Amino acid sequence: MSSLADRLRGVIRPGSGIGLAPSEVEGDPGSAFSADRQNDAAEILGGVWRESRGRRFLVVDRTCAPGYRHGRMCVADCLPPWPRLELLGGSDGKLLFLDLETTGLAGGAGTYAFLVGCGWFDGGVFRLRQFLLADFAAERALLESVAQLTDDVSCVVTYNGKTFDLPLIETRFALQRMQTPFADLAHVDLLHPARRMWRQDDVECRLTYLEQALCGHEREGDVPGFEIPSRYFRYVRSGDARPLQAVLEHNRLDIVSLAMLTARASQLLEEGPSAATMPREAFGMGCLYERAGLLDEALASFRRSRVVEGVRASAILLRRLRRYEEAAAAWRELLAARSCPPGYVREATEALAVHHEHRARDLEAARTFALQALRLPATAARQDAVKYRLARLDRKLGSRDFPCLPLA
Amino acid sequence: MLPARRTDSAHDQTLQSVVDRLTGGISDRPDSPDGWVTAVRRMPARAADYAAFPEAIDGRLRQVLGTRGVDRLYTHQAEAVAHALAGRNVVITTPTASGKTLCYNAPVLSAILQDPSARALYLFPTKALAQDQLAELHELADRLSHLSELQIGVFTYDGDTPQDARRAIRGRAHVVLSNPDMIHSGILPHHPRWAKLFENLRYVVIDELHAYRGVFGSHLTNVLRRMRRICQHYGSNPTFICSSATIANPKELAESLVEQPFELVSESGAPRGEKFFLFVNPPVVNQQLGIRRSYIAETRRIAAEFLKRQLQLIVFAQSRLTTEILTTYLKDDFGGQPGTPDQIRGYRGGYLPQRRREIEKGLREGTVRAVVSTNALELGIDIGALDVCVMAGYPGTIAATWQRAGRAGRRSSRSAAVLVASSAPLDQFVVRNPSYFFDATPEHALVNPDNLHILVDHVKCAAFELPFTTSEEYGRHNVQEVLGILEESGLVHRAGDGDDGTWQWTNESYPADAVSLRSISSDNFVVVDTTSGADVIGETSFNSGPPTLHEKAIYIIEGTLYQVEKLDFEGRKAYVRQIDCDYYTDAITYTKVTVLETFATDPGRSHGEVHVSSRVVGFKKIKFYTNENVGSGELDLPEQQMHTTAYWLTLPRPVMAALPFAPDDRRDGVVGLSFAMRQVAQLLLMCDRQDIGISIGTGDQGDDPDLTRSGHPTTLSDEPRIFIYDNYPGGIGFSEPLFGMHHMLLARTRELIAGCECQHGCPTCVGPVGNTGPLAKTVALRILDLIAAGQSALPVSA
Repeated sequence: MSSLADRLRGVIRPGSGIGLAPSEVEGDPGSAFSADRQNDAAEILGGVWRESRGRRFLVVDRTCAPGYRHGRMCVADCLPPWPRLELLGGSDGKLLFLDLETTGLAGGAGTYAFLVGCGWFDGGVFRLRQFLLADFAAERALLESVAQLTDDVSCVVTYNGKTFDLPLIETRFALQRMQTPFADLAHVDLLHPARRMWRQDDVECRLTYLEQALCGHEREGDVPGFEIPSRYFRYVRSGDARPLQAVLEHNRLDIVSLAMLTARASQLLEEGPSAATMPREAFGMGCLYERAGLLDEALASFRRSRVVEGVRASAILLRRLRRYEEAAAAWRELLAARSCPPGYVREATEALAVHHEHRARDLEAARTFALQALRLPATAARQDAVKYRLARLDRKLGSRDFPCLPLA
Repeated sequence: MLPARRTDSAHDQTLQSVVDRLTGGISDRPDSPDGWVTAVRRMPARAADYAAFPEAIDGRLRQVLGTRGVDRLYTHQAEAVAHALAGRNVVITTPTASGKTLCYNAPVLSAILQDPSARALYLFPTKALAQDQLAELHELADRLSHLSELQIGVFTYDGDTPQDARRAIRGRAHVVLSNPDMIHSGILPHHPRWAKLFENLRYVVIDELHAYRGVFGSHLTNVLRRMRRICQHYGSNPTFICSSATIANPKELAESLVEQPFELVSESGAPRGEKFFLFVNPPVVNQQLGIRRSYIAETRRIAAEFLKRQLQLIVFAQSRLTTEILTTYLKDDFGGQPGTPDQIRGYRGGYLPQRRREIEKGLREGTVRAVVSTNALELGIDIGALDVCVMAGYPGTIAATWQRAGRAGRRSSRSAAVLVASSAPLDQFVVRNPSYFFDATPEHALVNPDNLHILVDHVKCAAFELPFTTSEEYGRHNVQEVLGILEESGLVHRAGDGDDGTWQWTNESYPADAVSLRSISSDNFVVVDTTSGADVIGETSFNSGPPTLHEKAIYIIEGTLYQVEKLDFEGRKAYVRQIDCDYYTDAITYTKVTVLETFATDPGRSHGEVHVSSRVVGFKKIKFYTNENVGSGELDLPEQQMHTTAYWLTLPRPVMAALPFAPDDRRDGVVGLSFAMRQVAQLLLMCDRQDIGISIGTGDQGDDPDLTRSGHPTTLSDEPRIFIYDNYPGGIGFSEPLFGMHHMLLARTRELIAGCECQHGCPTCVGPVGNTGPLAKTVALRILDLIAAGQSALPVSA
């Protein structure tokens, strides 16, 4: 009779797509850590062991001096406070920059944050502290340490943290039956304003892309994201911390970039619309100003942007501000634009029809625009609405001798 | 146009007169297997049996129930509610329309009223059932909110729930209605988000418990094991309330699934009018080939008899195609003027929810007079109670037959159920042996949650959810050993030392995604229709792939025929194209079974662990209806191997030697016997055809013996064995019960063969002519007789 173990091996086919084949699993599985290996990790990664409740986790500290350069930018240029941070969702007070490296993207109870990376400004320098989960049993202690860092923090800054990092780390706190320290903090997720201001065409707005385009920093030999979990598992099984060096460096670069880009965004908003260097940037700034109620700046930004989105946004805003003539001018500018998408054309035509009918009181012009609108592709409901307008205009124009449009 | 439905006492008389017409006026007469109506049973009316509301039920709930006309409970309801309130797990097996939902809604709502932090989780096998219950609970919750300030939140949480609603539900729901798949992959792995639910989980309700047998049930047991682990982590210990259709072993099934003790409530206190149950077998029109008159036409005639007397009825059909055909027939017979509302409706699971609700409502209100449905209406959806139920074809199990029959039967007036048999072997057996159905206990529902394949998948999921400790137990096997093997594959890592250690999940994947609760491995074959484009139209398990999807095989879905053009074995895909032909195919598989370990044995019977290797060697083309052999082909497909469990019958040497027949005929007898035994085993195990396999073991024949046209070795050994194995790697729990039912298995097999009207064999008994020779039937019977005689000469064994 085959033993249970043999039968189990028959059931779990190695290399069937899940988990590493035994040959890929380096080192001695299941062996306890030897003290030597643990100290190696501290040396290899440049950190110190912290002990709490009889469990150890690794803390790696770095400091970026004021002159530390990241591409074209340097720490000294990026120092807070940044008054305009609230336009990005932030608040006054100390900021904590947060980035996690996890064992997977699926979420759920079995995904861990094995590296919690934190950054903050301290006087003229930028400090980094990374917490590495070398021993699963130390997770509670590690999280407590992270929580301590947030004691004097009023705002946390992440990149895509709203959907990924925050829910994940809060799950870890919940699983350890601890209160999450992030509940009452403001949260700036830079992904969203970054998309508005800096996205090129349809390219995904990755942090490394922004780092290159805006900071001017190019990474060399960076570890690809999909490799990160398996490097960590290799460390766990073998105790060899060398594969993790690249992971920690990657994490540090992410945090530094995050801080500098947040600085850039806030500074742009502080300097105002004239500081925008690209049309899209100006448009994004306009959206952010508008959302915060700073309508003059918003308008100026939209004007500056010159792209169709900007012109349209300015037309809508001007209409909101009841500056109808200017709004109409903007709609006309939109119609005249070369690359105006059909949706905007329809919108502008409609708006001008309405404007001329109700505000400028120029019924003939209104009718012209209404007729134009009818010729554009639209849903049945929209077509009906245009026809009602035409009918109403025709009535208002009364007995004038205009050929009636057949209703069809 | 059908005139208004009768509701007066003339109704009872009318129904009686139809029954009399069909049965010749005599009810409760002896069974006549050769007759057209082979059996009539009369079940007398019973009055209601009431009991008081248990004291512990919240007064506000009692008040609300009072406004809906419920002032007292039936005895079974009171009993079940009392158990639940006292924290005892309970399983209820009273018939349909006996008010089972109140048995669980009452304790759950009462608990929430008295403690607003209490939570409950309901499991349904289908989303439609969950929707049905949702409406009911909403109504109650709504009325209760007028009496208390508490807004009881009741929500469904399944694959259709929109993302933005999910968060709100997690926060606000007191009662969550879901299904096993969602709990398995959507809730348990994300349990931290459901902390409030698990911390306060008071009740878990499992409806239609009998649906959880076989592979599905084995998976559910493990899902519940994981759930209980998580509840323990959060400090709750919910009470389980289960409701089941009538099966032989409801308490045993509940206790196997939940792994806790249960109370059983089976005596119904609900009232019932007098009921007739008729078995109808269409007459034979071709004696030699055993062909009968169309059962569909028969069903149509019978349904019409009831319909034209203004009785409301439901017709069940076995496939969607048959449903459509019968709907068309009845509409032709009774269709109204164009523009008048349809009184005859078809119904199946694929219809849009809105249409289904409309038909259900019409049935309740009486505007829909006849509905033709697939098994979609077999399970609990409320359609009121109808006058007559006609079943076109045997539903496959005793339990399902009673479920469907239960759709007819009002509180105080007469009702009737009619079963019309098709020519399928199982149908013929049941209709010609009514005592099997009426007197025997229904089937046993069996599960095997410790099947290694299933267990390992769930251990992975459980490890993802909460790290195992190094002293923890799970299931019947040593989970620490399982985890050790998983570590070899890099899926988990043991952290910490000695007894204090934990097993951490060290993989990026989300294990629940790789597990399907309805199959053993996800290594299925996919059927791709290339007639116009490339659509996936079906799936089969890995084992069933080669026999059903070999090149040139005819693959049938809902009556539409497809031919397999190419089988990509490695890629697990079969490419098919629609075809119009008058034959179907049957694969010839050579299966060799080797015994690895015998768990128990008696003279003649044994069960144990086996190794099965099968190879599809060819196929036959068989004409529809006449079952003539119209062609064949050879095939060469990879051999498939698996370890599983089996029961086997050893035909003793003296018995084989005593047979006065030539070797070929003796072999035919054994082959025929094994064919018949398979049919009966299906009946007894409540399983489908592909759940078990048969093989004839003839000693050491090597790997490539000469085979008959049905894939069996041409020469037998002196003491051949007939194996009936579980067609699932790891076994699914059929072998030991078969071993226990061995005598019944042989007795019923004898009944099946002896009672069959054919001359030389047919698909009903020993297999179609062509598979075996002309003496197959005779020899098979002789073997059985000799075995029985031999056993009566032996001392009685355990």
